[in-house]
Amino acid sequence: MKRRDNKIAVSSNIMDNQTYMKKRIGLDVSFDLGFREITLLRKKVQLYYVTGLCDSVIIQEILETLIQINDNEANSKKLKEIVNNRLVHQQVEEVETMDEVVDNLLSGLIIVFVNGEKIAFVIDVRNYPGRTPEEPDTERVIRGSRDGYTENIVESTALTRRRIRDARLRNEMLKVGERSKTDVCVTYLEDVADDGLVKTIKDKIEKIEVDGITMADKTLEEFIIDRKWSPYPLVRYTERPDVAASHLLEGHVIVFVDTSPSAIILPTTFFHHMQHAEEYREAPLTGTFIRLIRFIAVFISLYLLPVWLLFVIEPTFLPKELAFIGPNDEGNIPITYQIILGIIGLEFLRMAAIHTPTPLATAMGLIAAVLIGQIAIDVGMFGPEVILYISVSAIGSYVTPSYELSVANKLINLGLVLAVGFFGVYGLTIGVLSHLLFLIHLRSIKTPYLWPFIPFNPRAMLQIIFRVPKPYSNSRPSIVHPKNNYSQPIKKS
Amino acid sequence: MQEEKKLEQNKREEPMSLLSRSLLTGFIGGLLFGSLGMVMYYFNFSEVSPKSYVLRSWVTEEWTEKWLGNIIAILLLGILSVLIAMCYYGLLRKIYSLWAGVLFGIILWGLCFYLFQPIFPNIPELSQLTNHTIVSTICLFVIYGSFVGYSISYDYYDTKMREANG
Repeated sequence: MKRRDNKIAVSSNIMDNQTYMKKRIGLDVSFDLGFREITLLRKKVQLYYVTGLCDSVIIQEILETLIQINDNEANSKKLKEIVNNRLVHQQVEEVETMDEVVDNLLSGLIIVFVNGEKIAFVIDVRNYPGRTPEEPDTERVIRGSRDGYTENIVESTALTRRRIRDARLRNEMLKVGERSKTDVCVTYLEDVADDGLVKTIKDKIEKIEVDGITMADKTLEEFIIDRKWSPYPLVRYTERPDVAASHLLEGHVIVFVDTSPSAIILPTTFFHHMQHAEEYREAPLTGTFIRLIRFIAVFISLYLLPVWLLFVIEPTFLPKELAFIGPNDEGNIPITYQIILGIIGLEFLRMAAIHTPTPLATAMGLIAAVLIGQIAIDVGMFGPEVILYISVSAIGSYVTPSYELSVANKLINLGLVLAVGFFGVYGLTIGVLSHLLFLIHLRSIKTPYLWPFIPFNPRAMLQIIFRVPKPYSNSRPSIVHPKNNYSQPIKKS
Repeated sequence: MQEEKKLEQNKREEPMSLLSRSLLTGFIGGLLFGSLGMVMYYFNFSEVSPKSYVLRSWVTEEWTEKWLGNIIAILLLGILSVLIAMCYYGLLRKIYSLWAGVLFGIILWGLCFYLFQPIFPNIPELSQLTNHTIVSTICLFVIYGSFVGYSISYDYYDTKMREANG
C-alpha cells in the first residue's frame, strides 16, 4: 500500500484540475459525484463532494458562507486566506497533490479548489450511512451494557475509548485494498501489549496486496492467520465493546475493520472461544457453574454421538451396569447411516432457519418438529434414541458461545461418527487422538491453540475452570507476553 | 521513571521455578490421564487398568477393589508421573516440538508393556493383549506424553524467550 512516487501536484489553473478530475474519477459519468462551481471576487472556486457521504445541509451551508465573501470582502489577492477563515469546520486541511484529493473525496470529504492556488482545501464533514449501536444478536447478556460495535470504524473505536480512557491506548489506522481502501484500525495498550505481537500483526496487514477486502474482518483474518485450511477459528470475534476492552487490558491486540461490526481479538486460544460475557456478570460461583455446564455441553456435542454409536455397534464395551444403553428397536436402516442422515437433516434445518423469512419460521418449526421428527420414527426410518442423541448433541453445539467453534466441532463430530462407523473402536481412539494432536499443533500467531491445557499452565487453567473474582486475579495471562504483568497491585498481606 | 520500570520488571519473575512447574505438570498429568485410563478400563477399551500396575500387582487386599483403591491408585500414578516428568525435564526439555512428546509417550508405552511387563504379575504379555487394548493404551500414552512433554518444552522455550527479550 505504499506507492505514489509520481505524484501530480494540484495545478494553479483550476481548469487543469477539472479536466484531471473528469478523467480520473469520471465526473460526468458517475451520478454520485457532486460538483459545484461558484465565482468569488472574480475568481473561480470549485466544490467537489460525494452525494450520500456528505450531508446536503452542510454543503449548502458551506456554499452560503462562501458566497457571502462576495458581499463582505474585497481583497481578491487574499482569497485563499479568506476562504480558509470562512470554512468554519472542525477539520479543514490543505493538500497539495491530486492523489490525496481523490482519496479524500472518495472517502466522503468535501474538496474546495480556488483558482490560482496550488492547494486544495479538504473539509471533513463526512457522514456515512449506518445504524446506531445496538445490542449484538450473538452475545446477549441479561444485565450489562447493551451497546455494540457498528459498521462505522470511528464509532467502534470511540466505544472502546469510552471504556479505556488511557493515554497509552493506541488506535493505529492502516489502509488495506488497492481499490477498496478500507480503513483498518489496530488497537492495543502501548505499555501492556507485546511489541513483537503488535509488530507481527501490523506487518501482516501492511503486506496485504489485494484489490479489496469487502468481506471486511473475515478476509483480513484469512490474510493474518497461517493455517488457512483449519476448520477451527484462530481469531475470536466480538461485537461487544466491554469484551474487547477487557481483552485489551489483558494485553491482546484488537483489530477493527471498517464496514464490519465485529472486532478481531488476537491472539486466541480454544478456551477463549468458550468464554462468554454472561459469566462475568454473574456471581463468580454461578459463573463457574455456567462454565462447567458449557464445557459439558461442548464435550457432548463432540463425543456423545461417536461414543454412543460405538456402544451400539459393539455392546461388549459396555459395563454390566450400563448394559441398557443402546436402541431397543434398531429401525430399518443401520444406525451409522441414521446418525449421518440425522446430522445432515439437522444442518438442513439450521441453514433453513437462517434463510427463512420470519413469517414462515413458525411453519418451518412445525414441519421440523411434527413431520420430520415424529413421522420419521413412525415410518421406521429413525429409532427414537437416534433422534434423542442427535438432538442432545445439536443442543450442545448451540450452547457453544462461539458460532465458528461450534461449526468446526460439528465437522469433527461428523468425522468421528464416520470413523467409528467404519473402524469401530480404533476409529474412536485414533480419531480422538489425532483431533487432539491437531488442536495442540494449531497456532494462532505463535500461540499454542490448546493453551493452557496443553501446554499446561496451572494458574491459567484455574482461571479457565473457575470464574475467579476480579479482586483475586491480578496478573495478566502469560500467553500474550504482557510487558506489564499485573492488572492491580499485589496485596501486602 | 527508570527505577519504576525496573521494579515492574522485577515483579515479573514467576513465583515458581521451571523445574517445580514441570513437576507439577507431571503430577496433574498423572492424575488426569490416570483417571482417563480408569475410565477406558471401565468401558472395556483396555483390559489393563492403571490400577493393576500401581496397586493390584502388589496388594490384593479387599479395599483395593473399592473406590478407595481407585483414589490411592490415581494418587500413586500422580507421584509416579512426577518422576516421569523429571526424566523428560532432564533429557528432552530443550526440544521444542510436539513430536518429542508423542515419541516420549510411545517409548513410555514400550517400557510399560514390553520391557517392564515381567515385573508385574497380573499384566498379561503383549502377545496376549487384544488389538484394541494395544491401540487404546498407545493412544493414551501418546496424549499423556504430549501433555507432559509439550508442556515442559513450551515452558522452557517460553522462559528462555522471555529472558532473551529481557
